[in-house]
Amino acid sequence: MPHNALIEKLPHRRMEAWKWTDVRGASMSEPQGLSAACNPTIAAPSGIDISTEGVAPSENVMGKLATTFAHNATIITVPAGFKSGAPVLLSDMKSGHARLIFKIGKGAEISVTETHASNAASFVNIDMRFDLAQGAKLNRTIFHNDSADVTRISTAQINAWADAEITQHTLSFGAGLTRFETRIASLGENLQADVHGAYLLGENRHCDMTSYIDLGGENARIRQSVKGVVTDKARGVFQGKFHVRRPAQFTDAEMRHDAIMLSDTCQVRAKPELEIYADDVACAHGNTVGALDESALFYMRQRGLPAKQARALLTQAFVAQSFENMVDKSDFMARITDWLELNS
Amino acid sequence: MIKIKNLTATVNDGQQTILNGLSLEVPAGEVHAIMGPNGAGKSTLSYVLTGKDGYDVTDGSVDYLGQDLLAMEPEERAAAGMFLSFQYPLEIPGVPTMHFLRTALNAQRTARGEENMAAPEFLKKARQIATDLKIKPDMLKRSLNVGFSGGEKKRMEIFQMMMLEPKFIIMDETDSGLDVDALRIVADGVNALRAPDRGMLVITHYQRLLDYIVPDRVHVLADGKIVASGDADFAKLLEKEGYDKYAA
Repeated sequence: MPHNALIEKLPHRRMEAWKWTDVRGASMSEPQGLSAACNPTIAAPSGIDISTEGVAPSENVMGKLATTFAHNATIITVPAGFKSGAPVLLSDMKSGHARLIFKIGKGAEISVTETHASNAASFVNIDMRFDLAQGAKLNRTIFHNDSADVTRISTAQINAWADAEITQHTLSFGAGLTRFETRIASLGENLQADVHGAYLLGENRHCDMTSYIDLGGENARIRQSVKGVVTDKARGVFQGKFHVRRPAQFTDAEMRHDAIMLSDTCQVRAKPELEIYADDVACAHGNTVGALDESALFYMRQRGLPAKQARALLTQAFVAQSFENMVDKSDFMARITDWLELNS
Repeated sequence: MIKIKNLTATVNDGQQTILNGLSLEVPAGEVHAIMGPNGAGKSTLSYVLTGKDGYDVTDGSVDYLGQDLLAMEPEERAAAGMFLSFQYPLEIPGVPTMHFLRTALNAQRTARGEENMAAPEFLKKARQIATDLKIKPDMLKRSLNVGFSGGEKKRMEIFQMMMLEPKFIIMDETDSGLDVDALRIVADGVNALRAPDRGMLVITHYQRLLDYIVPDRVHVLADGKIVASGDADFAKLLEKEGYDKYAA
């Protein structure tokens, strides 16, 4: 496929779902990896099978594109009842397209730790699918730290059967253009999903956290909290949607996005959405964008904290709320501290 | 210890004058009370002295232990021993009280060129003061002031004050929100800090607090300046007669 035709296929700002994340606009220079495959390094505990297969492409635009260049998908099979203290580690997603499919068996429990990082200008498109059988538990930890000239799209479609549990924590420091999209679909009952994240952006960086949670079974409990801290000329994007279908009675779902803007030149765009057809549900969404609380900063300085330290402490406490229930958050918190050291 | 001369401060880009030529001197070792009607500028005085943004000092000077107080940042004033017990203490979500206080104490010590206080010493001191102020240990683990009642927040201000051992203390309406028992506990804490090298400015609406913290001098603040002064008994007279004759 000639590059021009390829660029034509990329999502762009005239598409509603991509209006704040213009992949086409960011790819005009035809970055490295735009038409290549990516081979992530996968380290898995024993008992997990890894193979490659030709499978039908994902429905979404970036998924189709991934199929064009990555061809086969890597299938990671977690057998029923599997339990391990060790996570599956995904790394080396530095340039190109990859397709990864996790098949998680009945009652299996698995942690997946993803490091999305590249230190050179490139285009990265990771298309993932997680199929959770009944009672399966998935704990995803996503760490993103690219150089400022990377374009990265990571899409995860998570299909969950009854009694599944999903926990996801994402920490992103942005890139030239980034989108982490999480799509959860469940037809089964008793889905539990905690989908949390934070983006901390400086320079000209961009990060888009988009999620679509499609509920078709009874008694789902969803918690989502995304925190943003944006400075310089950076741009933060949050798009969240809960789609509660008619059979999804007794859904209990909360969505929050809160962002702090530390400069006059940064931007935050947010679109929280609820679409509800069931009549006995408790769904809420909240969205705030503002500056750091000046009164609280003065209070802290009155007690002797230098302004920079007060700002960092207040911002860290704000971001930490998204990782409150994370089992091991020490690595995330250390990286947040480092970022605040440079950007407060 | 602190010499305030002709202090004039405005807000809203000079459109509103809150302090209007206020002069006041508090020598080391003394406790002075400031009383006055609502809107007289009592809280503004406490904010200007501690360096809050939003107030323009257009005239006057403040000499604090030989330094030009108004030229210092809020944290420099804190390190130099200036402490304000807030009328409405702020809630700091996600920052545990003990972590905050230890960070603040060590920031002050660093600014003064002193060593950090070791954790065991800090904890021992905190436990003792919490016991004296009847503060439950559980409260010290929680985020600072989050979900605390008005009275609990005021007690927490005194806790911080006793931990930080400041040299000059401003108490802004510390009695509001406190019941009689809590008032006595707080006053005992404040009185324990009275010392020859320490000064205090107690801002209050009501004379009640001054039964427990007996001042050396009482001043009436009205329309942005001190309009009358007297000894401790003067407060009782004010309580009886009200501030009407001092208001413009």
